[in-house]
Amino acid sequence: MKNTNIVKDPHFKLLSFLITSARGCIDEPQLYGSLRLIDAAARLIDIMMVEGKTTEELLNLKKAIEENIVLVMYDEKKYIEFLDRLVKDLAKIIKSA
Amino acid sequence: MCLEDIIRVIKGRRCVRSFREGEIPNEYIHKILEAGIWAPSGGNIQPWEFIVVRNRDMIDKIKLVSPGLFGDPSVIIVVCINLEKAKRGGRIGESMAIIDVSMAAQNIMLVAYALGIGSCPIVSFSKTAVKELLDIPKYVEPILLITLGYTDKWPNPPARRPLEEVVHYEKY
Repeated sequence: MKNTNIVKDPHFKLLSFLITSARGCIDEPQLYGSLRLIDAAARLIDIMMVEGKTTEELLNLKKAIEENIVLVMYDEKKYIEFLDRLVKDLAKIIKSA
Repeated sequence: MCLEDIIRVIKGRRCVRSFREGEIPNEYIHKILEAGIWAPSGGNIQPWEFIVVRNRDMIDKIKLVSPGLFGDPSVIIVVCINLEKAKRGGRIGESMAIIDVSMAAQNIMLVAYALGIGSCPIVSFSKTAVKELLDIPKYVEPILLITLGYTDKWPNPPARRPLEEVVHYEKY
């Protein structure tokens, strides 16, 4: 892969996000670590979607993330409640596999 | 000057993280930046530098190193401090410069809103990477990214801490 193309590669995009987040999280608010991880999860589902690996349940997880991610900035309690629901939904996916 | 209009702009501005396509005219960018340089600054040092990024490929590259940047803005303004100029402020020069560019950033975002353009200030980006990408010299430090773009989704305003809680008359 040529360097000129690598910036368009979805895996490289996620890689860049993870590396810059790793550095940023050292200086940023503690809760932002969680924010970056959940953002990365949504980005990973995007990649899985392109690769034909998603299911309806996974797409629902992504939709839930997109709809609730901003809570981290406005309502910490509701953000944590959303994460709890997300983990429960994930567990259901794992359980039914 | 209409006080109601000023208050409406101040209260109406939101952090926009979802943009639609649409090129921002150059004259609008000029007005927005002009508002920036009319901000107050300690000792009138005016320590700010602004880098306007409109090239799509470069915006995408900046996005790669900016975990806090959401959406696809039409323009990114990189708000920087000129450390050489900030030195004129003495030992507090750098922290004063941060206050100065913050006031410039607020002017920028208010005028953008008045022009119907959404904006978002972003601190969560890699300064090291942005300096490398944009050939920013050592004596210039990026402080803030401001994304600009048209939007169909103006977020609801988050609750404000009430005046009674944050204002202290005469003494704390």
